[in-house]
Amino acid sequence: MGPARSLIKVKKQRTTLTLPSDSLMKAKNIARVRKVNLSTVISEALSEGLKVHAATERSEEVLALYRKAFSGFTDDELSLLDGIILEPATRR
Amino acid sequence: MVDPASGPFLFDTSAERWLARTKHSELLNWMGAYLSRHPIHVSAVTVLERSRGYSLLWRRAHDERRDSIESARLAYLSALGPVWPLDGAVAVVTGEIMSLLPDPPTPPKRSHQLVESRQERLARWRFDEMIAATALVAQMPLIHNNAADFEAVRSAIERSPTRFPRLGPLELIRCASLA
Repeated sequence: MGPARSLIKVKKQRTTLTLPSDSLMKAKNIARVRKVNLSTVISEALSEGLKVHAATERSEEVLALYRKAFSGFTDDELSLLDGIILEPATRR
Repeated sequence: MVDPASGPFLFDTSAERWLARTKHSELLNWMGAYLSRHPIHVSAVTVLERSRGYSLLWRRAHDERRDSIESARLAYLSALGPVWPLDGAVAVVTGEIMSLLPDPPTPPKRSHQLVESRQERLARWRFDEMIAATALVAQMPLIHNNAADFEAVRSAIERSPTRFPRLGPLELIRCASLA
């Protein structure tokens, strides 16, 4: 099932948007070539944009968690977190 | 330069931490681009090594520091992506690698007045062999920050291809060469 068809099941809402003229022109061209309406093209573009936004948010969230996971430790402690267990030389 | 879109990759224990703490803007951008497309895949061995590390630090810490260590541990667990198990296939491949390379190719680590015992070094080497085997079974390049050890595994596998049918070569990517 293509993205245009999958949108059929999605609840829709009418709204008014102000869009850049060149983007609107390109969207209208795409709609004409694909023989779909302008709303479909705008919906697909918005959906793709939101996916990229969500992926970026998740990426930032994971990086922030990793930074928290490894901050506030000394070099020897970080070695321990990497699986390297160091002990005082005199104990050996 | 490695295209982030060419992932997913398996991250070795030291690579995961090294990349998370890097200050290089190119590497940070690379990580951002990678994470927006793929999760960070790790072996269960990496989770084991990390969990043991957090637990040992927590046990050695004074009461007032324990909360921050536990908070760091929970952040790590929340960040985890797919964890590859030590299953039958990984066990078979690890066994082959261990028979080829029973001893660690590099000496125990040292830091100021601290040293790694021979027993710990051997255990860590075996963990690295398990991680390399996981990368082979998962058919993912391994991102690492430990060239001496993983290059030894890669070379050994290349010298005995018949012992690793339909697997290999072990693809290695150094952290520093990512961006």
